Amino acid sequence: MHVIVVGCGRVGSEVALNLAGSEHDVIVIDRKLEAFRRLGDDFKGTTMVGVGFDRDVLTEAGITPDCAVAAVTSGDNSNILIARVARETFGVKHVVARIYDPRRASIYERLGIATVASVAWTSARVLRHLLASESTPDWIDPSAKFTIVERRVGASAAGISVANVEAASSGRVAVVGRFGEASIPTPGTLLQEDDVLHVVIPADSGALLDAALEPNGGSH
Amino acid sequence: MNVIIAGAGSVGRYMAGQLQDSGHNVTLIDNDTAVVTQGRATRTPVGVTWCLGDACEVATLTGVGAAQADVVAAVTGDDEDNLVVSLLSKQEFAVPRVVARVNNPKNEWMFNDMWGVDVSVSTPHLLTGLVEEAVTVGSFVRLLSLEGGKARLAEVTLATGSPAISKELTDLGLPRESTVVAVLRDGHVVVPRGDTLLHEGDEVLVLVTGGVEDDVRRALVG
Amino acid sequence: MALLRRKRDDQHPEAVPAPNSIPMCDAAPRQRVCVAGKVVRMTARPTSGQPALAVSISDDTGTVTAVWTGRREIGGITLGRRIAISGVPVKRGDHLEFTNPDYTLLPR
Repeated sequence: MHVIVVGCGRVGSEVALNLAGSEHDVIVIDRKLEAFRRLGDDFKGTTMVGVGFDRDVLTEAGITPDCAVAAVTSGDNSNILIARVARETFGVKHVVARIYDPRRASIYERLGIATVASVAWTSARVLRHLLASESTPDWIDPSAKFTIVERRVGASAAGISVANVEAASSGRVAVVGRFGEASIPTPGTLLQEDDVLHVVIPADSGALLDAALEPNGGSH
Repeated sequence: MNVIIAGAGSVGRYMAGQLQDSGHNVTLIDNDTAVVTQGRATRTPVGVTWCLGDACEVATLTGVGAAQADVVAAVTGDDEDNLVVSLLSKQEFAVPRVVARVNNPKNEWMFNDMWGVDVSVSTPHLLTGLVEEAVTVGSFVRLLSLEGGKARLAEVTLATGSPAISKELTDLGLPRESTVVAVLRDGHVVVPRGDTLLHEGDEVLVLVTGGVEDDVRRALVG
Repeated sequence: MALLRRKRDDQHPEAVPAPNSIPMCDAAPRQRVCVAGKVVRMTARPTSGQPALAVSISDDTGTVTAVWTGRREIGGITLGRRIAISGVPVKRGDHLEFTNPDYTLLPR
């Protein structure tokens, strides 16, 4: 997959270096040339000097609906702009924005942008958001029988009840994050697009959970 | 009217002064301690309320009464900040009119209802005029100065009681040094002719040269 | 034909509105409110070259519009669906309009 990382600070460079070693191809955009020094001499991806919410810059960076975009500059506002342009102008589905101020996160979550507040935040979380196929669990119990995983609800699962998901995966939806706020759901709670679920499941039920959250089968 | 201006640079301060002079209730927000301290100490612009804070935060906007504001003008030197302030003003506070400054023309395409911006502008004069337009129906609003001030484009929205209502243009008695350039009615432009009949609510755009503004004002406002 | 306004305690259990919602006729502009109703109309409202989704929701007492910017659809929001929305509306002509409100899908 083509991944565009905007912002080559500590996190941006970590994400880029991580991705460049794998099968994804990465391009890093930053306003300042010096920022790319963080990538070192052996960086396998590409770099580009420019403003990340400039349509021409993004086009030149190869943005398409199937790529992923990480808005991880040092400015919340820039990250929001980048995220919205990527999503709304270019139709990119996998977009994550780093927001330093958690109070702003709820406002932007409403726009359907996955935000990662800097408090709980590592490059690993950004990667997890970007690459929806990666399923690094939040937690695995010592006996390795259970695991807590994080999933973002897609449009096709909207309207499904928590009870259904729990029955299908033999697990429990512990927490639902919606519009920047977290709550403990009831069985009757209906899932909505962009909800972030933290689900306790038996260690081998990942596929069942994913199937429950993808009711039409296959990816969209 | 209550006006909140985000960004106390030269544009923001200029606008604040003009609007406060016109009798509006103006609050200026800036994140720079030195700017706000000096503004408060010197009490310039006169009568304006100062707020030290980040206008891109809901808490700051709540604190300056955005819920009661009639207009928010986002005029910082940073387009990202202006867009975010606009979005918050519209989405969180339903501010009726949001005006935003475009610093870099390359960003102009974002300054619209996607970010809660009602009007985007790049010059200070135009900004003040548009804020005034939001705020006053029936008054004579100067929009643009042309030819180094020798000609002025002004706008009057005909309010109830205007002497121009139900009159044809030729009967208005407008002075020679003025021309009605256009009449905006129900979202379209009426090309004015001598027999164009004016209605209440019409926005009359008039070009005035020379010193005849008062005559034009009398004919259209009363 | 007289329009009967149902009282809350008479309502069918399936039609119980969201707990914090108020009747749409009581909602005022520029205050945070929560209203609930049925989706009666959905339009793609592209403006300024960007997509936007406008959804009209009605309860027994009125209709409001919710506009989501930058999207053409939202999972689960379909004609006839009951949803609750929460936000600060503006007055648009004779009705209220919410921009990017919080929403909750309600049981059918």
